[in-house]
Amino acid sequence: MAVGNVGVVAAARPPLRVRIRELLDRERVLGPLFITPALILIVLLVAYPFCVALYFSVSNAFIGRPSHFVGLKNFINLWESDAFRQTFQNAFVFTGTAVACKLVLGISLALLLNQQLWFKRLIRGAVLLPWVIPTALSTLGWWWMFNSLYSVVNWTGIALGLMEPPGPNWLGQKYYAMTAVVVVNVWRGLPFFAITILAGLVSIPRELYEAAEADGAGPVTRFWYITLPLLKPVLAVVVLFSTIFTFSDFNIVYVLTHGGPINSTHLFATLSRQVGLESGRIGEGAAISLYLFPVLVLVVYAQLKFVRKQTY
Amino acid sequence: MSRRKLRSKILAHAALVPFLVFALFPFYHMTLTSLKTDRELYDRAAAPLLIRQGVTFEHYTKLLWDTSFLTWTKNSLLVTVLSTAISLVIGTIAAYALARLKFFAVGSFGTGIFVTYLVPTSLLFLPLAQIVNWLGLGDSKWALVVTYPTFLVPFCTWLLMGYFRTVPKEVEECAMVDGATRVQALLRIVLPIAVPGLVCAALFAFTLSWNEFIYALTFTSSSEEITASVGVTTELIRGDSYFWGSLMGGAVLGSVPIVVLYVFFLDYYVSGLTAGALK
Amino acid sequence: MALSRRAFLTTSGGGVAAILASRIPPARGQQWEISYLCWNNFAPASDKKLSEIGQRFTKDTGIRIRIDHIAHPQQPSKYASEVQTQAGHDLVEMRMHFPWLYEPQLVDVSDLVVELERKHGKVLSSGYEGAHVNGIWRAVPQYHGMFLAAYREDLFKKAGLKVPETWEDLYKVGRELKKMGHPIGIPISQNYDSISTASAVRWCYGSTEVDRDGKTVAINSPQTVEVVEWYKKVYRDCMEPEVLSWSDASNNESLQQGKAGWIHNPVSAYIVARDKKLVTADGLNHHRSLAGPAGRHETDVPRSIGIWKFSKRIEPAKEWIRYLLGKREVYDEYIMSGSAFNLPIYTNLQDHPVLKTDPKYAALRNEGAQYHTYGWPAPPSDKVQLITNSFILPNMLAKAVTGTPTREAIAWAENEMQKIIAGS
Repeated sequence: MAVGNVGVVAAARPPLRVRIRELLDRERVLGPLFITPALILIVLLVAYPFCVALYFSVSNAFIGRPSHFVGLKNFINLWESDAFRQTFQNAFVFTGTAVACKLVLGISLALLLNQQLWFKRLIRGAVLLPWVIPTALSTLGWWWMFNSLYSVVNWTGIALGLMEPPGPNWLGQKYYAMTAVVVVNVWRGLPFFAITILAGLVSIPRELYEAAEADGAGPVTRFWYITLPLLKPVLAVVVLFSTIFTFSDFNIVYVLTHGGPINSTHLFATLSRQVGLESGRIGEGAAISLYLFPVLVLVVYAQLKFVRKQTY
Repeated sequence: MSRRKLRSKILAHAALVPFLVFALFPFYHMTLTSLKTDRELYDRAAAPLLIRQGVTFEHYTKLLWDTSFLTWTKNSLLVTVLSTAISLVIGTIAAYALARLKFFAVGSFGTGIFVTYLVPTSLLFLPLAQIVNWLGLGDSKWALVVTYPTFLVPFCTWLLMGYFRTVPKEVEECAMVDGATRVQALLRIVLPIAVPGLVCAALFAFTLSWNEFIYALTFTSSSEEITASVGVTTELIRGDSYFWGSLMGGAVLGSVPIVVLYVFFLDYYVSGLTAGALK
Repeated sequence: MALSRRAFLTTSGGGVAAILASRIPPARGQQWEISYLCWNNFAPASDKKLSEIGQRFTKDTGIRIRIDHIAHPQQPSKYASEVQTQAGHDLVEMRMHFPWLYEPQLVDVSDLVVELERKHGKVLSSGYEGAHVNGIWRAVPQYHGMFLAAYREDLFKKAGLKVPETWEDLYKVGRELKKMGHPIGIPISQNYDSISTASAVRWCYGSTEVDRDGKTVAINSPQTVEVVEWYKKVYRDCMEPEVLSWSDASNNESLQQGKAGWIHNPVSAYIVARDKKLVTADGLNHHRSLAGPAGRHETDVPRSIGIWKFSKRIEPAKEWIRYLLGKREVYDEYIMSGSAFNLPIYTNLQDHPVLKTDPKYAALRNEGAQYHTYGWPAPPSDKVQLITNSFILPNMLAKAVTGTPTREAIAWAENEMQKIIAGS
């Protein structure tokens, strides 16, 4: 009897510390606990502001004035504006071209970096430089380079015999301006592609290549049938991130062309600033920015589905 | 080394040259601009790719002594290091939970984190300003320390999630059988293995945070609080006059710290992405 | 009592301090602190002078003032976030017609302006247009900088060219300059300099974007056709295609490094050339902006100081404005430090000593100038400002000079403007 009592008493009150330890060992407690900080951060500082921005877009919000709900009027009225229609087209052209270039060049560069190189660290560091320089300042550097008066780009082109003097008016002509901003975007984003794809390349087992070589497969065949398929998950992820970043790019266009010439390089972010911030119409500005959203969601959805399919 | 191998090695290096030129040329031009005298900078006839009229450090001295560049850099460093650290901690535990633990709505939370990435900062900054103000962080770099994790945490979480999944479950289970708690297993077993992933996430977070502009511009005003890129563009662009020499000097000095970091930790960065990117 | 009050007045060194002494109970231990956000002045010396004046202000009145600077492209973001959060600085410097945009958020400062007008004379027309919103002064005009012509006097002399008086004269002169290899530089791109020049030209030809009533789009007119045709021939014969890519700094730089023979700009281009001792500096000079069939109208950039309604220190903020602009010596000092880039905006102060500091400033002195801000003659309401900020005017001109028929370009502009006016 006494023993049983002691046993019951001893088991009923373990010390607090032990109780907490045991609690923390339970997945169902630890899990939510661990994601709570991230959750708070996102709910407070992303979800809530996003809802406010959403409200802006369906209201006639103007800086410093009371706003009223107007439904989808902003979204619909935007289509009337030539600048917006142009922006919509620009965004797809810009993103499509830039991401495609970065993909092709990124794979090539990664393949090269994967070789046994002399000065490996230095070369890799050098390649990463554009990604690492503060964007606000590197874009200014490019403006200086494309500057119509001192254009290094034209000077070099003429010196190498590739261009006729005085060289194209990079930022003042419709298609050249788009080319210029795409080039700067590719310059900045290429390191991200290259290094990430390199990481993917590094993990492909050498034995596969050796086996293929033994079977008589040439380098192109090896690339097409071994490298590319195994890289697909990495490529999907990199393209996804890059599409998001590129689609919502602001700085390059703002500094180089301000959206010109004649709105031919305006992107959603730059137009949103022009209409929203500089003219006070934050409702319309928010609506412009939100046009980004469905496209991005589509891209994310497509990518995730694709990636899930690959890994499972 | 066989002749064929040597030849292909040289070819590889030769093929790299255009990439290197493309990547480094603007940097070379910026550095050159920061070292040229004003006279030569404005001389239409001068060759842009060389310095013929003498090297000058006046742009750098102007940048360092006439402006509060050092204060701004200090601010940038402080904000970047702190927000990277915070994001890493939050991201690590969130990633561990999502990769390892089973609990209510784990899958949708994972996707949810990803979706927050789709919201551009240019859309959020105005409503965010209200929240920052409500938190009492009006004109201060602490506002940046609080807001930067919003775009750093999603990426860190995603990357580390992938990385944790590559750590074999058995290792942890062994430790737990031996009497360790989950938390202890995480700290003592999993994290050391995941160091490359952590370094990679840290580097990425560091870069994004160092280069950020919109939030820095909005949430800080006074010269003692602003970060390097805001400070340089504010101080050296006056009306319709750009002080190109010092601006480019600012670009050069603003990238040096990160380049140094990257050169040292590059191997970790690559191997960290390896596992993380594949899952 | 009266005697000691007078003694106090003379020894305190300023009527301002006395006014405050009578308002603030001496027993109060706390010190007021106000903050002022202004742009990074073109002349760095002016910013230094401002902070000096701020320190003297603190000594004289006991009110501490913190002055922050921001680059002018970043002002809209900053103001938007301060208004959104209803917190931030007490005083803000406003460029051109910003007070219209922020009207509900700015304190009525008519009493201050009336005081200043009594001392210094009436505010110039551009300052009035920018800061006098719907019958109330929402900001106090402080200084302005006008657009005038900066040109290569040495080249003109060498070629025996006469200084142009009208825009049509400019075309003739420009043709010769381009042949000499020094074309004119007028930007036609999405930047504010383009709007500045295009506005001046259209005012001089009598062309209107939006009418005085602020509602009628009047761009489709024979006067506008004249303007577009003028731009077309100037682009073809006097300029180079690069002007389609220019930013606000490009015309300065073109003049400074010796390419452009004539530009339309504030004095900043000359000042930088002079201070950096560039080769072209000596050959530069200015002349007044040009005239046209509808008279001589000039683009002006007035700047004024506003006080946010959410500020809890409105009275001390007003004291700062009184100190900076009301006291003649302080105002003069401030203007002198601005290298003639910032000029007084009150009528009686137009003949300012700063203009004598350099013979090349002679053209800045002006009688009976008609200064306007963007959008004139329409009041700069939100919609008119949106039209301006959408660069419809420069884009119309860019279309025309690159091949679009004149009528089509004008019709496009009319369409875009009408949509904006019609929108909510």
